Amino acid sequence: MKKLSFWALISSSLALSPMAIADVSDGSAVIGKPWSEVVDLARGGEVNWFLWGGSDNINRYVSEYIGGILKDRYDIKLNRVGLSDTVEGVNIVLGEKENGLNDNGSVDMIWINGENFRTMKQGNLAFCGYLDTLPNNVLVDWTNPAISNDFGVPVDGCEVPWSKAQFSFTYDSARTENPPRSIAELIDWIKANPGLFTYSAPPDFTGSVFVRHVFYFAAGGVENLLGDFDQAKFDDAAAKTWAILNDIEPFLWREGKTYPNDINALDQLFANSEVNLTFNYQPSRVGLNIQNGTFPPTTFGYGLSDGTIGNTNYTIIPYNSPHKAAALVLQNVLLSGEAQHQKALADVWGVAPAIEISRTSEEVQANFAKVEVHPNAAPAAELAKAALPELQAAWITAIEKGWLANVGSN
Amino acid sequence: MIGIESLATRSFRVITALVLVTWLVLPMIPLAIWSFARGWYFPNLLPTQWSLAAWEYALSDTAGILDSLLLSIGISFAAMMLAILIGVPAGRALGLYKFRGKEYIELLILAPTIVPGIAVVLGVHSVFIWLGLTNTVPGVILVHLIPTLPYMTLVMAGIFSNYDPSFEEQARSLGASGIKTFWYVTLPAILPGIIVGGMFAFLVSWSQYILTLVIGGGRVITLPLLLFNFATSGRNDITGAIAMIYILPGILILLFTARHLTGRSGIGGIGQI
Repeated sequence: MKKLSFWALISSSLALSPMAIADVSDGSAVIGKPWSEVVDLARGGEVNWFLWGGSDNINRYVSEYIGGILKDRYDIKLNRVGLSDTVEGVNIVLGEKENGLNDNGSVDMIWINGENFRTMKQGNLAFCGYLDTLPNNVLVDWTNPAISNDFGVPVDGCEVPWSKAQFSFTYDSARTENPPRSIAELIDWIKANPGLFTYSAPPDFTGSVFVRHVFYFAAGGVENLLGDFDQAKFDDAAAKTWAILNDIEPFLWREGKTYPNDINALDQLFANSEVNLTFNYQPSRVGLNIQNGTFPPTTFGYGLSDGTIGNTNYTIIPYNSPHKAAALVLQNVLLSGEAQHQKALADVWGVAPAIEISRTSEEVQANFAKVEVHPNAAPAAELAKAALPELQAAWITAIEKGWLANVGSN
Repeated sequence: MIGIESLATRSFRVITALVLVTWLVLPMIPLAIWSFARGWYFPNLLPTQWSLAAWEYALSDTAGILDSLLLSIGISFAAMMLAILIGVPAGRALGLYKFRGKEYIELLILAPTIVPGIAVVLGVHSVFIWLGLTNTVPGVILVHLIPTLPYMTLVMAGIFSNYDPSFEEQARSLGASGIKTFWYVTLPAILPGIIVGGMFAFLVSWSQYILTLVIGGGRVITLPLLLFNFATSGRNDITGAIAMIYILPGILILLFTARHLTGRSGIGGIGQI
């Protein structure tokens, strides 16, 4: 019985791989084509979307809600491939390109931003220049620099925005009455509350963002740091940053002798009451973590008076995807007002939309107006009032390396 | 005197068994509790709220755990059978015969256990692309042979180093055919080794992550792929639920083969090469 189903699985997988469907790997077959032709090409096919798979909420939204729309309206099978780290998906495409697999890759779409986007763009791994083919592209405000630049790298039509995120802090009101509301206050708070704060060690994505907040503070604002990497400006701000971070180190959790590896370890420390503050790049995580029981219900998210860093995340189609038409249909569905509204709902995901709500239909606008974020999460609109931009990747790499050499190794 | 000695031996055996069981079972208890917990904070000894949400997710179509369980069993079973087919003759050659360069062959066989998969996976990927084996179940089974074969071969080499091939000669001189000799003489003598080596092979294949992800290209989703998604994201409840399903085959195999692990059966158990 076991053996039988096993061979059935093998033969079905063998039958699947060379299956010839109408979809295309040739990008010119979809660019600029009327949308109905693209949909016809995609119909009856499949699309393999690689994305971080560590949240049951997101998995359910993608597989059930988005997968349901693709199945019912377009007869497309969505294959959600969960990753533990996005770079695993990028490396598959990279390996395929190095081996000349240019038209039959395994990856049709990746949820991406920042460093991984830079790798894909610089390595010519991205399928670009098709955005105007997507009917829902009109909902995206490409004049907004926070959308047309992904961590300082121009998007240039190589990816489509999916959601927006902004850094926020988290505290438990049962343990902390007045959390620090700016980086300056935080530094004083750490010294007054020894052992109750730490941050995940860069290059952890979220820990690295925290260090950038201190870097912005040390530099006296982010305005001077925008644009290309500048060694003189970097050296000046970096010296002050390391001084601040080394100054607070003895007051950190375990006297700063060690740092948590990643944001999940920091969240665990917070959940176990070992530290009193944590932070996240996804403000809705507070609500989700309360719902799934990781954080106690007395947990609240909040922003800083001097602003927190925000970014946009995107979906990208690899140049060698053999299902480009289906991937385009998927991106168009993701951009639609109804799909963006669905993931904004607190019990679904609670993430901020990447489209301009004012450009959607009246019905969608009315629905968005009714969206309630989890009452404990910092509201996205509130955070957006004091949003700081991300720096270009060269700055970020230099800050991460500098932290390791000057703070992490002490 | 003899009575006291055997009592000491027996209590030593019982204590060792207890320690081993504790060692194996204790870490599982928090995972099992977590899978039914809705929040579990320090300093509570037990969760304050219980929930079936993690299991509900783990058993849902979205999670795809049950499909992956079946597929993983199939892949690991096939990798184990192939490892036995290759490992038994290879172990016999290493265990019974002396030949030039034997130490180098042994080192080569050991290499996959020393070099981590992540270091070679990109090179393996290009070979498999070239062979047209990426994104297929057979490709994943084949790539699992890389980490499983060393265990199988070395266990068999140990078995064969304690094996006396003159039994086979006796059988042949009494008129048994080659197949009959293997079936009635060789196989019974080496069966414990095949079982132990096969179990190693199954479990090593069972725990592969990066080789499966890259060679399977996201088309071949085994249980570790789903487990690591949640283990790395700090979701202890869902990780606990998937882990409970994940360890089932290992426990079943262990129970099934435990009597062969004592070293008391067969021809002297697992010896040295």
